[in-house]
Parts: sequence; C-alpha cells; structure tokens
Amino acid sequence: MAQKLYIFGIGGTGSRVIKALTMLFAAGCRLENGFDTVVPVIIDPDTGNGDLSRTKDILRLYQQVRNQVDHPDDFFGQEVKTIHELADHSAGINPDFFQFRLNGVDGNSFRKYIGFEELGDNPEAGEDDRNFIRLLWSEANLDADISVGFKGNPHMGSVVLNQFTSSDDFIRFGQTFSPGDAIFIINSIFGGTGAAGFPLLLKNLRGNSEIPHRVHVKDAPIGGITYLPYFALNRQDEINSESFEEKAKIALDYYNRTIIGQNRINALYLIGNRGNTNVIPYAVGGKEQKNNAHFLELAGALAILDFCKNRDLHGVSGGKAVNGTRVKEYGIENETETITFGDLNLDDVKKLSGPLTKYRLFTGYLEKGLPRALGVSRWTRSNIRLVPSSNNSVLDRSYFSSVEYNLQVKAFNALFDEWIREMGENKPSFIPFREMTADTALNLVRNSAPKGNLSFRALDVWNCRLIARDDLRAPVGMKHSTLIRLFGLSTEKVLTKKELIIR
Amino acid sequence: MNELFAAMYESLFGVYNANYLEIFTTLFDFGGYLRLGFLFIGLPLLFWLLFYYLWKYPYGRFLHWLVWLLASAVTVLVTTWLVADHAIFDSGNQALADALGDAESGYKAYAEGLPMRYALINAGLSLAVGFMASLVMKQFSRIQMHLPF
Repeated sequence: MAQKLYIFGIGGTGSRVIKALTMLFAAGCRLENGFDTVVPVIIDPDTGNGDLSRTKDILRLYQQVRNQVDHPDDFFGQEVKTIHELADHSAGINPDFFQFRLNGVDGNSFRKYIGFEELGDNPEAGEDDRNFIRLLWSEANLDADISVGFKGNPHMGSVVLNQFTSSDDFIRFGQTFSPGDAIFIINSIFGGTGAAGFPLLLKNLRGNSEIPHRVHVKDAPIGGITYLPYFALNRQDEINSESFEEKAKIALDYYNRTIIGQNRINALYLIGNRGNTNVIPYAVGGKEQKNNAHFLELAGALAILDFCKNRDLHGVSGGKAVNGTRVKEYGIENETETITFGDLNLDDVKKLSGPLTKYRLFTGYLEKGLPRALGVSRWTRSNIRLVPSSNNSVLDRSYFSSVEYNLQVKAFNALFDEWIREMGENKPSFIPFREMTADTALNLVRNSAPKGNLSFRALDVWNCRLIARDDLRAPVGMKHSTLIRLFGLSTEKVLTKKELIIR
Repeated sequence: MNELFAAMYESLFGVYNANYLEIFTTLFDFGGYLRLGFLFIGLPLLFWLLFYYLWKYPYGRFLHWLVWLLASAVTVLVTTWLVADHAIFDSGNQALADALGDAESGYKAYAEGLPMRYALINAGLSLAVGFMASLVMKQFSRIQMHLPF
C-alpha cells in the first residue's frame, strides 16, 4: 500500500537536514517499506533565512527535474510532494508550499505579537497582566524581532508556534493524512524555534481533536531527531552559543519526563558533537544565517531512512508507542576530524557510498567530461544518418543548451557539489571524494586505488552502449528522462567495474 | 568465383595480354585470382569489423573514419602487391618460370608491372567495398554508429 512520510523540519537545522535528505534522494536513496512519497514541511518564522531559502530552492529544483523523468528508479527515485499538491491534486511546483506559514510574525516584535500593550480590561488590570508577563519574558525578549526566529529562546517560540496547529496548512495536513502514513520531526534542542516547536508539534499530533483524520494522526508512527550542540558562534550577543549545552540539558530533561517517559514518540534519534570546536560566523537569522552543510545533517537524513526501515517496530495505540520510545544515537567507527566512507559503519557505507559516488561522478562528468563528448560521441548525436530514428539521441547540443537543462539539472547539480564541498570544509569534515579532473575522474573516492584508465572515457563508452535502450526513450514532455536514467545506469556500470561501490 | 574474378581483372580492368598468356593461365589455374579477389573483399571487412565492433573509443570523428578507410586501402594495396608478386614469380608453374627466365621472351619485363596494377585496382575496389561495408556495419555498432555520418 502506498504510504507517505511527512517530515517536519523545524528551524534552520530542520531545513538543513531536509536539504541533506533531498540530496540523498537525488543520488538514488529511497525510503523502504512502501513509503513512496515524502512530504517535507518546514516550520520557520524566519522566511528570509538563508538555509530555509536554499532548502526550498533545492526542493523546487528536485521536483522540477523529477517531474520530467519517466518512472525514475535510481537518481531522483523518491517522490517528493507538498501538502498542497496532495490536497489540491495539483501538479504546480511552488516552493513556498514546503513551508508552514506563520501569521503575525513579519516585522513584528514579540511584544506586539502577544498584544502586550492591549492586555487587561482596564489600565490597572492591564498593568498587573503586563507585570505577570514580565516575570516570564525579559524586556529584550519582548522587544525581539520575531520575524527572524526566536534566537535561542524556546519560551518565546512555544507561544508563537502554537498558532500553526490551527492554521489552514495544518488542517490541510490532516486532510491529506491516510492510514499507514508516518511522521518524522527534525529539530535542534539548543535553538529557539526547534526546541519550542518539537514538543508543541508532537503534543498536537497525538492530542489535537480539531485536526482532520485525528484518529489516523494520533496513532501514526512518529519518529524524531533532536540535534544537540554541534557548532559554536564566533561571538556572543543576543544568541549565546556558550549556553547551548546548558539549554540542551534542560530540554533533554523535559523530553525525558514527557516525551520519552510517556512513550509519545516511537523513535527518538539524538545526535551532536560534544566538545566540538566548529565555530561559525554569528548571524541572527535572515539571509546571513546560511550555515555550511555539516556531516551531522547527513547523519540526520540517515536517521529518517532508519526510521522507515524499522517501520514494523513502530506500533501505536491510544497515542502511545506500543514498544516504548526507542532512543538511538549515532556513531562512526573511527574518531577522526576528516571523515571518509571508510570511517563509517558498514551499513552506512552501503547506504551512502554507492549513491553519493554515482551522483558525484555524474555532476563531475557534466562539468568536466561533457565538453569533450558533446557533438562527438554517438550518445550526443541526434543527426546520425541511415539508421532508425530511435538510434538518434535527444541529448544533443540543443538539449544541453536548453533553458530546462541549465536552470534545473545544472542548477541542482551545482547545489549538490556545493553541499559536498561545504561538508568537506566543515568540522569534522566529511570528505569522501578527491578533487576530480577529466583524466583522473574515476579516482574520485578517497582511500581507493582503482586500476586502468581513470578518465571519463569509460562513462562515455557505456553511454554509447546504453543510449538506444527502449526504456531510456522518453515520452513527450519528459525532457530530463533520458539524461537522468542514462547516467543512473552508466555510472553504476563504470563504478561497479572499478569496484568503487560497496553493497 | 575464379571465373568471376578473372573476368573482372581481365575484361573489366583490362589486365590481359594474349602475348603473355602463360601468366594469366597460371593466375587462373593456381588460384591467384581467387586470392586477389578475397583480398579486396576480406581485408576491408576485417578492418571495418575492428573499427565498428572492437574499437572502444567514444570520441571518434569523421577524420578517424577517413584515416581508417585509407589505412584499409593501403593495407590492401601492399598485401595485393605481395600476393600478386608471389603468385606470378613463385607460382610453381614450370612453364611460366621458364618463360620468366627467358630474357628474350619479354615475360619478365611485362610481369614486373602486374603486381602494382593489381594492387592499385584492389586498393580502389577496397575503398568502395569498405564504404559500403561501413554503411551496413554502422547500423549494429553501439559506439561508432555515427560514423561516417
């Protein structure tokens, strides 16, 4: 039976993990156990947030590319939809639909949001109310601009985020929810938005009587990943990274008593990097908050794959996990600041190395190998004479100079390469690939030493062999179908022959 | 096939002189014409088999095809010359050997020009055979299907 996985990504961390997951999907990773559709939902009041904007862009491009591939079963194999597409059965791509909107936050202070000045029926009662409020929130909190998030203050976030569970978006979520669907929540425990949003969202999923299909939602398998501190800021101001660990402890204690202790969630994944020395530039939301990709976000994406794989263990009855809350942590085999595939657990290597290596070879080829083959190699020729028309390729010069290729495939691949590069520049770095040149392309995996010719030539040979296959012929309108399916096959062939894929 | 090749070389291309009948009789009786004929057919076929089915170079251009065609023709030319020379001067036919050995018969002077004539004819024929074979073989080639066009 077709099932959907709704992924709620709360705050900047949520955006970045969804980004990592989307990259894995592009590379050919798929959810197991019949989860054929993923529905990402980003909850973040900071609409201008750099990470949020980048993730929405990546999701938009992913859909644009995938929608033009006929029955993708390798690269771009996993279907990704918005709640609006499910509710309205529309095919239009709008990246804003990946985000739950919050009302009343744009350009507002927290003071204005809660109606601080309008409290009370009369001036005297109002002043008492205002004094009570001042016990809970400082003047700085009240004056804070909430359009850029809650700056590490979950006690603000918990008030503002409460609105979304009665929002049209949340209602639409319930309307599209079916038996068998599952939910996964991503948050960071040391931030403001994520720390507040996670327990709030979970409480509503398990106990909100207003939500459509509440019976299905209440007893749906729910998993979550909570990020403990894994970076610090280069200076302290409104947001103080030196308080991250303390906030994390307090929040974990709360989770332990409520969420875990009451079995409200089926699986909770915890991940962080204690004693980390990863320092990033200070930014208070907005487009400046654009953190480099981090290996831990990729690990978070693996948690989602793991959750779906173990779906059978996630029974729910009366809103509680039948088998109790399973708490999982993440680890790698070797303690190192420069992580390669060989440092990961073997299961993770098998999940990641094949898809990421194939897709990296694909992006590297289009950047550095294609110029040699375009218009020369048989697989790029659409004007071969005296042969059946089915032997002519659609991947000719006009395709590679088309708007669709450049604004969709090429743009997505640039973001993929940027994501890989950023993880390599972060701390600890995830750097499984070497720098790629046209002559050493197949020597791309670190700690491997493939033999023979290492140029892109083998890939071009396989492209020539495969291009005329019936299953690569694209229906009208599926402009990227041949390219994506062809390279899914040819990269597999080439890398398998060089023994660069571990399965 | 022997009659066919003999007719082709002697009638169509005019490589015949009744004054030196022994040469042409020897080529006919001792299989020289057969060998010459298979050369302009077989060698190009082999060359293009290699080109279309064994040469795994995905960046082949028209120039590669042209060079291969010329290489095939040159190979046929050289091989034909050697085979024709052997067929005439080492035939095993004593009568021809005696005639070639008789300086006053004129056989030797005439015969010395024949290998090159056959070589040039075969080289030209191999270009035509190679071109036609190429058009057929490219249909089934996965890597060089786009050549020559």
